[in-house]
Amino acid sequence: MLYRKTIGALALTSALLMTIGIAQAFDDSKYPDWNGQWRRPPGVNNQWDPSKPRLKEEAPLTPEYQAIYDANLKDQEAGGMGTDPTYTCIPDGMPRAMNVIFPMEIVIMPKTTYILIEYLTMLRRIYTDGRDFPKDFPASFMGYSIGHWVDTDGDGRYDQLEIETRNLKNPRAFDSSGIPLHADAETVIKEKIYADKANPDVLHDEVTTIDHALTRPWTVVKNYNRVRNEIWVESICQENNDHLKIGNDVYMRSADGFLMPAKKGQPAPSLKYFEK
Amino acid sequence: MLRGSIGFCALMALAGTLGVAHAFDETKYPDLKGQWNRTAAPRWESASKAPLTPEYRAIYEANVKDQAEGGQGETPTYTCISPGMPRVMNAYEPFEIVVTPQATHFLMDHIHDARRILTDGRDWPKEIDPSFVGYSIGKWVDEDGDGRYDVLVVETRGLRGPRSYDSTGIPFHKDNQTIVKERIYLDKANSNILYDEITVIDNALTRPWSTTKKYARGPDRNPVWGESVCAEGNQHIVIENQPYMLSSDGYLMPAKKGQKPPDLTYFKNNGK
Repeated sequence: MLYRKTIGALALTSALLMTIGIAQAFDDSKYPDWNGQWRRPPGVNNQWDPSKPRLKEEAPLTPEYQAIYDANLKDQEAGGMGTDPTYTCIPDGMPRAMNVIFPMEIVIMPKTTYILIEYLTMLRRIYTDGRDFPKDFPASFMGYSIGHWVDTDGDGRYDQLEIETRNLKNPRAFDSSGIPLHADAETVIKEKIYADKANPDVLHDEVTTIDHALTRPWTVVKNYNRVRNEIWVESICQENNDHLKIGNDVYMRSADGFLMPAKKGQPAPSLKYFEK
Repeated sequence: MLRGSIGFCALMALAGTLGVAHAFDETKYPDLKGQWNRTAAPRWESASKAPLTPEYRAIYEANVKDQAEGGQGETPTYTCISPGMPRVMNAYEPFEIVVTPQATHFLMDHIHDARRILTDGRDWPKEIDPSFVGYSIGKWVDEDGDGRYDVLVVETRGLRGPRSYDSTGIPFHKDNQTIVKERIYLDKANSNILYDEITVIDNALTRPWSTTKKYARGPDRNPVWGESVCAEGNQHIVIENQPYMLSSDGYLMPAKKGQKPPDLTYFKNNGK
C-alpha cells in the first residue's frame, strides 16, 4: 500500500513540475559559486610559477630548450623580445592565459564552463558534456578543453573542475620571460580548479604542463582572488602597442610615431619596395 | 481546499528534496543555444541611407576617397582595434549567446567583440570607463504574456572611439556620446532566426538611425568554434600615423601609390 502511494506521489510530482515549468535541466545549486571577477593576487607579476621569483622559476627544461631560454633572456636584455611572441598581440594561449594578467570571469553552464579572460578576448570553452577529444580539429592558441566536475568531499555538490587541454598551436611561452614550449606544439595541460576550503573567495588552479621542452611534467598552483561588485575594464592590446614586427625583426615606434630600433646598433628595415 | 493546499506544499517540499533547481529557471528564457551566423555581408546599411549631418557626410566622403587610394579612411580596425558597438553586431565571426541570471553574454571571436549585457537590475553607474563595446544594461521582457521572456531590451552607453559602422567608414561623432538601443528576439515562426533591432543615437546623425540585423542558427548543436586572431598575419602597420603594408615576404611596402617611405631618423646614429 505504501509502495503504491509512493509511486503515485512521485508520478504526480513529476507531472506537476513539468506543468509549472520548474527547471530540472540545470541545477546550478550542484555547482560551486564562482561568480564574480577573479584576479591574480597583488604582487604576482607576469610569471608562470608564482611561488618563485620571476626569472628564477627553475623550469625543468631540456638542455636544448634551456639554451633557447638563455638566448631569449640575452635577446630581451638587448631590447629584443626573445621567445615571448605576444608583443604582436597574438593571444597568450594555454597555459599562459591562466596567468590572468587581466581579470577573468567563470560562467558555469550544464554542458560548458566558460572562462572569459579580459585581454584579447581570450575565451576558453571547457566542454563538460562527456564528449571525447575530436580527431582532426584545428589547433588554436587556447586549445581544446574537456572537463568534468568532481564532488571530492562527497557532500552532493561539485567542488572541483578537472580539465585536459590539447590541440594547441604555436608560438607560445609560459610567461613574458619567454620560458619556451616545444616547437612541436604537442603540449597537454591538465588542471584542477577548486575554491580554497577556508576561503571561497580564493580559487586555485593546479596546472600540470606536459611538453617536450620539459624533462618532466611541470606543476604549478595558480591562485586568484575574487572581487564582488566588479568593474570590467576593456583591455585592447593593439592600442598603444609600440612593438612592430617587420619580417622576423622587432622594431619600435617612438612616442611621436616614428620607426625606431629596438636594439642598439639595429639597422633600419629594407625599403626596397619603395625604390620602384 | 485547505487539505489540498497542504498537499501541494508537501509536494513542493518533495521537489526540494529531489534537488530541483529554483535558482536559475532557464525555461523562462528563450533557447538561444548554438552557433549564430550573420545572414548577409558584415555591412551596416548603405551609406546613402545614413542620416549624417553635412559635416560627417563630408568626413565619410573623404574616407571613401582615401580608401580608393589605398588608405583606410577612418576605419580603425585594420590595426586590430575592436570594432566596438554597434559594429560588432555585424557578426564578423559566428557567435554564441550564454544567458545567466546576472548577464547575457555574446561571445564572439574576432578582435575584441564579446559583450556582457548586465541583466541584474542595476542602474547606470555615475561614471563609466569608456570602452569600444560600451557598458550594456539589458532587461528581459515577456511581450506576449506567456510566462516566458522573449525579448532582450538593451541600452549601451559609455562608448569610446574611434569607431565606424563598418569597413566603408561611416563615421560616428568624435564626441563618442553614442547611445545604442536594441531589441533582440527570435523569429516567432522560426526559432532558428534571431533579430536585433538596433537604433543608434549619435551626434553625427540628424536623427536616430535604426536597422535590423538577422542571424541564423547553425544546425549543429555541438558546433565547431574556430579561433580568430586578428594580429596573426595582419599585414597592416601604422608608422607616423599613416598606414603601411607588410609584403608577404616581410618587407615594408607602401599602402598607397606614391607613398613615401617612413622616416628613418632614429636609425641614423643608432649605436654609434
